[in-house]
Amino acid sequence: MISLVISWLNFFLAILLLPPLILSLIRKTKARLQNRVGPSWFQPIYDWSKLCRKDETLSSTLTWIFRGSAALNFILVLLLALFLPWISFKPSFTGDDIFLAIYVLALARFFSLLASLDSGSAFGGFAASREATLSLLVEPAFMLALVALGINARSSSLSAIFSYSTDANNQVVCFLAGTGILLSSLVELSRMPIDDPTTHLELTMVHEAMILEASGRNLLLVEVSYALKMTVLLGLSAQCFIHALQANIVCPKLLLVILSYLGILGLAALVGLIEGLTVKLHWRKDPEFIAYALTMSLLACFISIGQGATFK
Amino acid sequence: MTNLILIVALPLLMAVLGFSAHKLPFFKQLIAFCAWYQIGIELFLFRALFTGKDSVHFVDGLVADRTGALFALLACFVVASALCHACVFFKNEGVDRHKSSRRNVGIFFGSSGLFLLAMTLLCICNNLGYLWICIEATTLVSAPLVFYSRDKHALEATWKYLIICSVGIAFALLGTIMIFASSQQQTEDGTLHLTELMARAGTLDYPLLRMGFILCFLGYGTKAGVFPIHSWLPDAHSEAPAPASAMLSGALLNCALLAIWRISQVVVAAGHPELALKLPLVFGTVTVAAASLFLVKQSGIKRLWAYSSIENVGLMLTAIGLGAAPLFFLQALNHSLAKVAAFLLAGNFVQACGSKKLSELKGLLILSPSWAILLALAAIAVTGAPPFGAFISELYMLTKSNEMDLCFVFVTLVVSLTIGFIAVCYHVSGCLWGKPAIASINANTSWLSILIPATLIFLALLLGVTPISKYIIEVF
Amino acid sequence: MTATMLDCCAIAAALCATFMAGSRHLKRNILFYTLQTILLAFATAIRGSLQSEEQLYLIAIAIALLKAISIPLFLRWIVRKLCIYSDPGIMIAPPLVMHLSLILFACSYFEIASIGHSKGSSMAASASASLLLTGLLLMLTRRTALSQIIGFLVIENGIYLFAMTQTTGMPLIVEMGILLDVLAGVMIAGLVAFRIQKSFEHIDVTQLAELKDE
Repeated sequence: MISLVISWLNFFLAILLLPPLILSLIRKTKARLQNRVGPSWFQPIYDWSKLCRKDETLSSTLTWIFRGSAALNFILVLLLALFLPWISFKPSFTGDDIFLAIYVLALARFFSLLASLDSGSAFGGFAASREATLSLLVEPAFMLALVALGINARSSSLSAIFSYSTDANNQVVCFLAGTGILLSSLVELSRMPIDDPTTHLELTMVHEAMILEASGRNLLLVEVSYALKMTVLLGLSAQCFIHALQANIVCPKLLLVILSYLGILGLAALVGLIEGLTVKLHWRKDPEFIAYALTMSLLACFISIGQGATFK
Repeated sequence: MTNLILIVALPLLMAVLGFSAHKLPFFKQLIAFCAWYQIGIELFLFRALFTGKDSVHFVDGLVADRTGALFALLACFVVASALCHACVFFKNEGVDRHKSSRRNVGIFFGSSGLFLLAMTLLCICNNLGYLWICIEATTLVSAPLVFYSRDKHALEATWKYLIICSVGIAFALLGTIMIFASSQQQTEDGTLHLTELMARAGTLDYPLLRMGFILCFLGYGTKAGVFPIHSWLPDAHSEAPAPASAMLSGALLNCALLAIWRISQVVVAAGHPELALKLPLVFGTVTVAAASLFLVKQSGIKRLWAYSSIENVGLMLTAIGLGAAPLFFLQALNHSLAKVAAFLLAGNFVQACGSKKLSELKGLLILSPSWAILLALAAIAVTGAPPFGAFISELYMLTKSNEMDLCFVFVTLVVSLTIGFIAVCYHVSGCLWGKPAIASINANTSWLSILIPATLIFLALLLGVTPISKYIIEVF
Repeated sequence: MTATMLDCCAIAAALCATFMAGSRHLKRNILFYTLQTILLAFATAIRGSLQSEEQLYLIAIAIALLKAISIPLFLRWIVRKLCIYSDPGIMIAPPLVMHLSLILFACSYFEIASIGHSKGSSMAASASASLLLTGLLLMLTRRTALSQIIGFLVIENGIYLFAMTQTTGMPLIVEMGILLDVLAGVMIAGLVAFRIQKSFEHIDVTQLAELKDE
């Protein structure tokens, strides 16, 4: 009973702490690479509290869909955080299926697209079209990576897949699937090789152009759910790598907790590193980048299927 | 060890002379002389084989048996004849005047030395790994032979030859490794030694052995010019200078087939003759049929001989498939003698008339009667018509296939050989008569230029009219 | 140093080949080839420590020196001399070729299964088969002579991986002979590529089609 309480407390702590920490870690890494000091570690929290206090400016064409979808988006991402095993001490639920996760992710995206279309501005429209194209391309990669893990564990339940109890042979699959998830979440989150989150030119934006119309508390919701989504997706891929590691070394529970935190932070630093070192790809080159993610996931799938064939 | 030094010394000397001493006035004659002398050395080394012993030991992995020794002698004889003729050939080419072309001739003769070395070692290999290394080495050292003329066509032919053969042989390497793995399934230490493989043939793992044999067959088959993977062969043979074409056709193809035969022996010993014999038999028959059809529509004289070589490769494969090693050697011997003569004579004409096209080679009987008559005789000898030796070996082959109730093989061979004979005779007779395109040829038609071809054709005739063929088949 | 590490190296080498299929930049291809060869040398060393065979260490060093250092340097030198940095390729887009090579990877599972039980791990065996097939795919989908050489080298790496993981105690002299043959082959093919550039003013081997039967 006490351990359950502790794990819930720990989980809420992670949900509250990690999203702003990741945002500032990415910014810090990038600033360091550019020889700047960078903003303070608490900058995301300052930003959010400022947004909380600000008034909203709403265009006259906006309907209830715009405001409703931001809230719905937040709820869906929270739901995702509750049942995606992005951290080792997450309390488990029944019915946490990989396909449910994929659909919830798609539903969240659907509502954000709807919101950006609802604003009626030209930028919102083309950003939505770009986002839809990218997500169409990247969804197979993300899905296949999860499916590969599922085949490997002989179950579609996420808590069974990430239960730290599978045999040692799957580390190749875990590693490949983790890389696939990492690469596809870069696309999913509109991070660097696909989209520059710090650009000031609307014509090159994808994600930023979608939320141009949002302001005040509405923007706060969008920002928070984005940070949470990033934490969850990076955490998921970090869990895959930890599983691959665990095939070689048996880790005690406490070490797993520390590794989960460190893994997410490490991947966030990696994202910052990528943003500091690379340039944004040409729009027509994006499918090529996504193809690499798909390659990883497909390979993971083939290997897990092949292993299943040899085990039987 | 002394044996090994004896057998590699002269080819190495040839290579050194060719690469470094092309300024000497008589280096070509010297190298050709070395090649003839090499035959003597090989006869001396292999003498025990013909007086009852089964093998001559060189070093671990290099052990000559009777078949290998015969093929080594044949390869050496072909190289010696071709190089001897090459002295005349390059003199007519006028290479002595230019410094750069003298160097090219030096490279040609030096590479021939290495080529001879690689083929000799290949024939006496008793280890599948060494066998692979030797075959790859023959590809590498014969590339400069094909590239001799340094023009665009030669370049294209060399590139195709290098890449297609290298990839093919790479698959043979995989096959070799699979055979090695198959010998490792039941005992701890695997082996590549042929004698050891034969000794424990029963314990080889069949699925791996089968895959290995098929891959080796395809790989070495590429090198031999077996039908669907022969595409490099006509290009390389037609673009190389005539002595090089003669060496490639008369010696290299035999060696590649020898490799296939050695591996098929292992599979037969492992108790799977149906695989080891059927594969060569089917591919051989198909190759004969396809090559005879290609022969019908040819426009270049050297391409004609190249496709005729493919046809003969098909016949030799069929002989392997019939399980008749003596027949295989006899066919190889006859083909080598006649085809070397044919290529050398074709080279003479191409050099004198300045064209390889059959449509531009006309009236050869008027231009040079002695060459033309020899060319006609060589054509008849190559296609396996009486009274030349190839007729005897083909007759043996047909009788054997009839005895074994291989009706399909029998019919295909008869029809294809007929088509091939008619096609070659048609093309060659078209060249002999008619109005010459040029007034006269400005080449030296002295007895030196026909010495080697005439001797070879005479030997082919001897094989046909004397009971030597029968002797070879029985003694084996 | 476990057997799974060996598998990881094999799969990573196969992945390098797949990425080579996905890129047409010659220098990047050479880089991936180098990486792949280093992985193979590393795998050889792992195998050596697993079976405590000293000669495998020797082979690993030879591979690292000859195939992972000399050959890439030589190829890069040719790239620089010829000033040809990318391959036009045939009509298929590179990501598609990459996925084709993955499908070949899946096929190699069945291929390996059909050969049956060899002693080594089936994972490494299918990785080597996939290297082999991807090398062929590279040769088929590329047009410059240099890419053909690189494709051939990938095929050769696949064969080596098969030999290393599926057999034990290949004679050292045979391994060294094979290594030298491959080295010499690449050198000669590279020189021929030079000549092609000089006399045709391109190194597109699909345009080398003057010799054919009429």
